Amino acid sequence: MIVGVLICLFLSCVSGLGQSDLYGDEFHEELLLKQLPSGHVYSYFQFTTLWENGGDEPNHHCHLFPQSLSEVLHLYNVDEMHLSLTGGLWRHENWGYPVISAPPGAELWAWFKEGTEDVDKKWTLLSNALSGLFCASLNFINPQQSLNPKYSFAPLGAYASGSQNRSLLRYSTLPREIVCTENLTPFKKLLPCDSKKGLSSLLNAGNIHNANYHSLGIHVRPQCKDVNCQQTVLELRQTVSLVYDLIILGPESRDWSFRKLFGVGLAGSCPLAASSRIYVDTSSNGTSSIYTLTPEPTEFISSNRGGYNTLFAVYDIKKTNIINMFSISSTHKGPRVQSLNSPPVLHATRYIVGYGQEHGGIVTKIHNNHWKDLDIILFENIPWFLPIYYHTLRVTTNEGKQVLKPYKKHYIPGRDRSRPYALELLVSLPPRSVVEIYVEFDYSFLKWQEYPPDANHGFYIGAAVITSVLPHTKNYTGIPIDGSTFSSSINASRDTYPVTLHTEILLVTLPTPDFSMPYNVICLACTVVALAFGPLHNHTTKRLQMLDPSEETKGLLTSLRMRLKSFICKSSEEKEEISVPTKTVKVKSKESASEHKPCESKSTIRKKVKASSKSST
Amino acid sequence: MGTSDTFRSLLLEYGFAFILRIWLYNSEFKATISGRVEVSTPINSWKKVTEGVALYKDGINPYSGDMFHESPVGLLIYNQMIDYAAPFLPAIFIIFDLLTGHLLYLTAVEYMKHLMKRQNEEKHEFSDEVKELLLTDKDVRRQPLYVVAAYLFNPYILFNTVAQTTTVFSNFCLALSFFSMVKGYRFAVCLFLSLATLQSLYPIVLVVPAAICIGYHTLPSSNKSTTSVEKCSYFCQKLLPRALQSSNSDHWVTSIATTMVLFSVMMSSLLLLSCYISGGWEFLQSVYGFMLLVPDLRPNIGLFWYFFTEMFEHFRLLYLWAFQMNALVLYLIPLSLRTRRDPILLAATLTGITAMFKSYPSLGDVGFYLALLPMWAHIFPYLQQGFIVLAAFIITSVLGPTVWHLWIYARSANANFYFGVGLAFAIAQIFLITDILLSYTKREFILRQVTNNVFNGKHRKLVLA
Repeated sequence: MIVGVLICLFLSCVSGLGQSDLYGDEFHEELLLKQLPSGHVYSYFQFTTLWENGGDEPNHHCHLFPQSLSEVLHLYNVDEMHLSLTGGLWRHENWGYPVISAPPGAELWAWFKEGTEDVDKKWTLLSNALSGLFCASLNFINPQQSLNPKYSFAPLGAYASGSQNRSLLRYSTLPREIVCTENLTPFKKLLPCDSKKGLSSLLNAGNIHNANYHSLGIHVRPQCKDVNCQQTVLELRQTVSLVYDLIILGPESRDWSFRKLFGVGLAGSCPLAASSRIYVDTSSNGTSSIYTLTPEPTEFISSNRGGYNTLFAVYDIKKTNIINMFSISSTHKGPRVQSLNSPPVLHATRYIVGYGQEHGGIVTKIHNNHWKDLDIILFENIPWFLPIYYHTLRVTTNEGKQVLKPYKKHYIPGRDRSRPYALELLVSLPPRSVVEIYVEFDYSFLKWQEYPPDANHGFYIGAAVITSVLPHTKNYTGIPIDGSTFSSSINASRDTYPVTLHTEILLVTLPTPDFSMPYNVICLACTVVALAFGPLHNHTTKRLQMLDPSEETKGLLTSLRMRLKSFICKSSEEKEEISVPTKTVKVKSKESASEHKPCESKSTIRKKVKASSKSST
Repeated sequence: MGTSDTFRSLLLEYGFAFILRIWLYNSEFKATISGRVEVSTPINSWKKVTEGVALYKDGINPYSGDMFHESPVGLLIYNQMIDYAAPFLPAIFIIFDLLTGHLLYLTAVEYMKHLMKRQNEEKHEFSDEVKELLLTDKDVRRQPLYVVAAYLFNPYILFNTVAQTTTVFSNFCLALSFFSMVKGYRFAVCLFLSLATLQSLYPIVLVVPAAICIGYHTLPSSNKSTTSVEKCSYFCQKLLPRALQSSNSDHWVTSIATTMVLFSVMMSSLLLLSCYISGGWEFLQSVYGFMLLVPDLRPNIGLFWYFFTEMFEHFRLLYLWAFQMNALVLYLIPLSLRTRRDPILLAATLTGITAMFKSYPSLGDVGFYLALLPMWAHIFPYLQQGFIVLAAFIITSVLGPTVWHLWIYARSANANFYFGVGLAFAIAQIFLITDILLSYTKREFILRQVTNNVFNGKHRKLVLA
């Protein structure tokens, strides 16, 4: 259903990016600054490169499009690729929706071209290549950890056919990935102006990683060249999302400026960029807080989208005459007002219940604040070492009183060490409700070499992904599917607004063995097996005999000496000694007075042998 | 004690056992017991069965994942059980448990009769001095009652029933096989053994005692006219070494071969049925591959889990082979040769050894072979390590859950503690089994060999040499 809506959207795709230069390439740089209701400042950089004929010829000359990336895409038959490297968690409840959602850690999903053979191999190669390109641990993505979702992650690009072959999709996350400077530097190198000129010069590693939330994104997809959509161009969107907590950044915590946020001012636009604009969302100015922006913006644009008005202060850097350094700052006036935050229509939290390291449960709570039903797709991606029990899956609302039946369930049970557990649910959330999705799991016990070096830190479980279409644009900043740049979201009213939410990642501490003990454990367990083997071997290979114990009963020392002697003489004899049980002894004592005839059996022969061995020593 | 007395005490035992189980089912301990790793392993836990049935109902192949390890035949049965008898599940488990107890009783009765018969036949070989050691009618009456009590009031079996593990059904199949073994029903033995094997693989070793037992039962009393089967076996006999050729050896060859063939036919038809039910051979990997390769290292009362957690990767396969052979074939032939005169003892010993050394043992398996042992209550006076074994059982049963709690919940202990307790438990079982075997041999020896002239008025020692 949602997929249908998306397809309708590309069919009606409109893209107002007409003018192409000599090479048919375009580059746009944009920055959105928005004061979030919680007082944080959200800055969103988007660098959009559109490459004509990008998908056609493998060795096409790259003008603005990064050569390294284009080679990777061509080599591995990639149609569409979405990579995000994120630190921190986007808090939907307080911050609204980001332009592009990303889970903590690394996330990669890709659609391969129709007719691609051995998708798994290509997927491995792609993740390895990207790992090198972005200095991230994406090489740890392998087909064993990857999933092939059935409903989520519909292709976002423009394609000739509306049908999707789901076997061409691969999805994987690395929730443990830590994003830092070494990822930002190669990211900036993909830009036509690098970080030397233009908005990218604001991306200062020290200041970026100081943020509460930072996310790098690489999104490649085929996009319609024009309204008719007869031809496609390859669109690359490089995004950087940052959320700053002004309280941490310094005094006068309500005010912000480029210098405060990024540490530097802007020297000018990238000369290769077709447009270079900064949008400041000033909708909240005058309502919750009053502030002035300096310098004065080039223009104010009012965007009416889905019934909600947003007022943007736009700075067109191309048109601005920058003499020295350019910086935007906002200065607040009047008393500090804590604005009441109205949470967005749809948001979710996820956590683990239970105690101990034996059994547990994952709870995903999805809030629907809308007055109507809201259909969502929930995609859970649980690694194999957290085996979930499908039969314990409960979708309830109204604090567990009402059980909901999902429209569709798609479950692929995991396999040890080779496949994660994938669960997709199509659920209709009742109006103004909190839907709780609960599933039980067991803690696994891994082999000692499967634990990471800091085993007691725990294992991360990737975020659940919720896909839905919103009925209105409150708190919504997403770019329409038919648009490439942020400017295309202005006045872009549609029937529905697709949204993707990522929940928290989870940290699970699995029970650990003692890592220092392999030899001891192997020795002890083998000893126990040998304890069984010895007596059973004796029992099955030897015969019971009566033995005259006159030598053995002389005392411990004598018997030890005897044993030593017999050992030296290599007469490997008696192994086990068993005293006659009490009942028999009783019999014996009764009868001991009767006749004395030595038993001509092996025991007497043995005695003789023993005597001779004694004399020989 | 007359027949009515026996009947009354049996009835009392069943009644009390039933009430005890009903009480445990309705107590707060049920959830705790069914979650215990000692009771519920990945192979037998009811939670996994529920999971498999839920997957099956939703059209997902339960064998495509790693959560269900029962055979497809079991899947079908459990599916029906959950569909039609969900409210009566506890009752089903309790009834099967009581039936197992009763079957063991019948087995013991039959076995004691057989022992008595053999004793009477061989009485002339025994010396007069050992009269006190002979089985009495009292023993014959009492020991079956001990067996049923040891089954029904064994805490291990109680936990097993209350946790609703599928070991209840495999124990039932095993009890049926034991019963048909003593009765000499060839067809039934093969059927129930193949059912038990289908579920948990390890009972396959019981084919050997079963074949021997059936051989004894079908032993011809006098020479009859040669049939075509015997003719055929005549050629087989020619292939045997001279030492094994005897007047009855053609009977033995045919009998054992028939049992083996019948078992293989039943086993393969059950496997084919399983393939038909599950729509492919994927279940082999999920059921038997899982048991043999031990990918799930969740702790249990066995030796495998920690050993293979700590194992070096390049030795894993070697030790897997070694450990599985230890559980399956290592002792099979020597013990079969040694205790061939008493196949029931052989079967009980093999059940014990597999319960000890199998990859995912549970208390239900241990309880089953412990319940068989009172059939040999007359050799208990010969046990040397009885006290040690009893003490070790009690201590480990208390200590195990304690250190588990310390490791998993309080996190003040680690895996070594729990493994240590498991080792002690395994050692206790080993002592018990080897002690029983030795005592049995000792008693036989004393019955036959000990005459007054053995003792020269001084101490003598019995040694294995």
